[in-house]
Amino acid sequence: MSDMRDEMLRTLDRIVEDTATTALREAADEKASGGGGAKGDATAALWAALEEAGITAIGGGGEDDVSFADAMELVRRAGYHALPVPLAETIIARRMLARARITAPEGAITLAVPGAGELPREGGGMLTGVIQSVPYGRAAAHAVVATEGKLHLVAIHDAMMTRGTNMAGEPRDVIDLSRAKVLASAASPTAIADLEAEGALVRAVALSGALSACLDHCLTWVGDRVQFGKPIGKHQAVQHLLAQLAEETAAAGAAADLAIEAAMVGPRRFEVAIAKARAGEAAGKAANIAHATFGAMGFTREHILHYTTRRLWAWRNEFGSEVYWQAEIGRIAARGGARKLWPLLTGELERD
Amino acid sequence: MPQFSFEPVVMPPEALKLRQEVRAFLADEIQKGSFTPAVGSMVEGDEAFSQKIGAKGWLGMTWPKQYGGGERSSLERYVVVEELLAAGAPSLCHWIAERQSGPQILRHGSERAKTTILPEIAAGRCYFAIGMSEPDTGSDLASVKSRAVKTDGGWRITGRKVWTSFAHRAHYVIALVRTSGTPDQRHYGLSQFIVDMKTPGITVRPIYNLYGGHDFNEVTFDDVLVPDDMIVGGEGRGWEMVVGELAFERSGPDRFMSSYPLLAEAVDEMGPDPERMQAAELGRAVAHLATLRRMSASIAGMLNDGKSPVTEAALVKDLGTTLEQEIPEIVRRILPVEPRGVGSDNGYVDLQQLAQMQCVSYSIRGGTREILRGMIARGLGLR
Repeated sequence: MSDMRDEMLRTLDRIVEDTATTALREAADEKASGGGGAKGDATAALWAALEEAGITAIGGGGEDDVSFADAMELVRRAGYHALPVPLAETIIARRMLARARITAPEGAITLAVPGAGELPREGGGMLTGVIQSVPYGRAAAHAVVATEGKLHLVAIHDAMMTRGTNMAGEPRDVIDLSRAKVLASAASPTAIADLEAEGALVRAVALSGALSACLDHCLTWVGDRVQFGKPIGKHQAVQHLLAQLAEETAAAGAAADLAIEAAMVGPRRFEVAIAKARAGEAAGKAANIAHATFGAMGFTREHILHYTTRRLWAWRNEFGSEVYWQAEIGRIAARGGARKLWPLLTGELERD
Repeated sequence: MPQFSFEPVVMPPEALKLRQEVRAFLADEIQKGSFTPAVGSMVEGDEAFSQKIGAKGWLGMTWPKQYGGGERSSLERYVVVEELLAAGAPSLCHWIAERQSGPQILRHGSERAKTTILPEIAAGRCYFAIGMSEPDTGSDLASVKSRAVKTDGGWRITGRKVWTSFAHRAHYVIALVRTSGTPDQRHYGLSQFIVDMKTPGITVRPIYNLYGGHDFNEVTFDDVLVPDDMIVGGEGRGWEMVVGELAFERSGPDRFMSSYPLLAEAVDEMGPDPERMQAAELGRAVAHLATLRRMSASIAGMLNDGKSPVTEAALVKDLGTTLEQEIPEIVRRILPVEPRGVGSDNGYVDLQQLAQMQCVSYSIRGGTREILRGMIARGLGLR
């Protein structure tokens, strides 16, 4: 691990400790009873602190920038902390823009990935189309958008927007691109698939962080909570549950690592598919184990566990659920047949 | 909080080159009809095949040359092992000796044991069984009752081992026995001995498995003489030895690849154009395999660096055997075919049935699921 990475992660931890209070998390959370995100810029202080520390400006791969692997560690740590800001989106957007040789603007940038049948069209310097479930659309001034064969940087602050949220109360807005201004475009034959894959990559990495958080929460809790005269962590049934949670956490982490390593050179869809499929599966199992471990306490709003478990459920659905990616992997494997299955696994085939 | 890390490992170019060599050799062997791919390379054994692999220099690869080894990296060995498994090659004969007994002898055996035994293992001519379990001793290994009593120039072993895989074809068994103390003294007083199966006083009786196969045996020792220099690691260090070998025993591709040939067969049976859920079932298995390979190779890298990642190995084994046991279920969901009865010549159905019956043993051999989860919990600081 590089010193730079260590320092950056420590900075993030410190900002989280100082700024990301439960009050802020509640205020940011659209699912909170008080209406949460209606308060608007609840997370402004958090984002400002991140900006001040230079953490929102990484990912572009410039001379002073951290490595891609370091940037992904930051995404993982942000996932660990369940941060209610579009940090992962901004980092990966900056990387996509840099690869397309488009200068990235300052501030939050989101990804507008079209669903099936939603593909935006380009004409006369404008885009037409409506994209659902854009992460933090309302908070980001810019979005990366893909059309057939092209990647675009779009200003979305004036776009028509309908507010929505995911299960974790994170903004997932509907954006009508017709009033959005295209700032720059670059030819990219695989723009649409790449945008989806890069989104899936950061979600898989963030899931791996959230899984670690889930395990840590559980380990603390089973040491503190006493039933039948001893900490519940001394009961073998509980120990075995947490062993499985540790297994799923380790597997998701390894799958995410595998995708990060492959992605050093650029979008690698097959490895991303593996990471998102495996981490997504781990997320479902982990959330179940965590809630079994915490009992009624973990089902309450006042407990912090749900900031993590609701993100596990939400993130595994985003940028392709595990079934979506499993099916893609399976189709590739089936097409190759038995003889090519093993070379596919050992990374010796061109798969995209 | 303690969490487990699986550092990335980069396969060196020589390992990638070796992979192609091994794969080409195995394809050629299949072509020549020297074997038919089977589920669980640890089930089919063929002395001639093991000797061919030995002659290629693919056994004992990491050992010093003076003991017949190749002084190559754990990562190169990893590649050979997974290619054998992927091809469903009949590797049972040399498997235990090469994976487990050899490394243990290398690290803790006497010079005579190293000089006489290791080159034979590396040549694919010398096979081992592991005598741990007893009628009243399964997972609770510290409860062994077999005893060795000191005698002039050696030890005399008396006792009974059961479920001893491959003892009927092995040249040696490494037996865990009590050299002092009593079973309630637990880990104290246990020692491991290399016992030559030709020694008078040994009786081997088959214990057939649930599908009629012969792998297990009962091995009875009646005052069997073992020379002093065939103790491994010294008197009273048996428990330490058993624990030490677990990282080797539990982390390899044989802990997640056993059912792989069935999955590959199912891919062809299903054809190139699956329905969505068929594709997803297959893709899920592939995602698990890819992840497990990453974790297992990472452990090979740690072993290469001289570490002993026992808890990580337990974790990989539990995840790996879970997948191995799921594959017969996964392929049933992909292809819900009924067997065609006696005389059927359907490779897929035969493999599915064999894998189905075999796979229940995967989460028992080499440490049960429950023991492994206990170890992981200990690694998490819970016990």
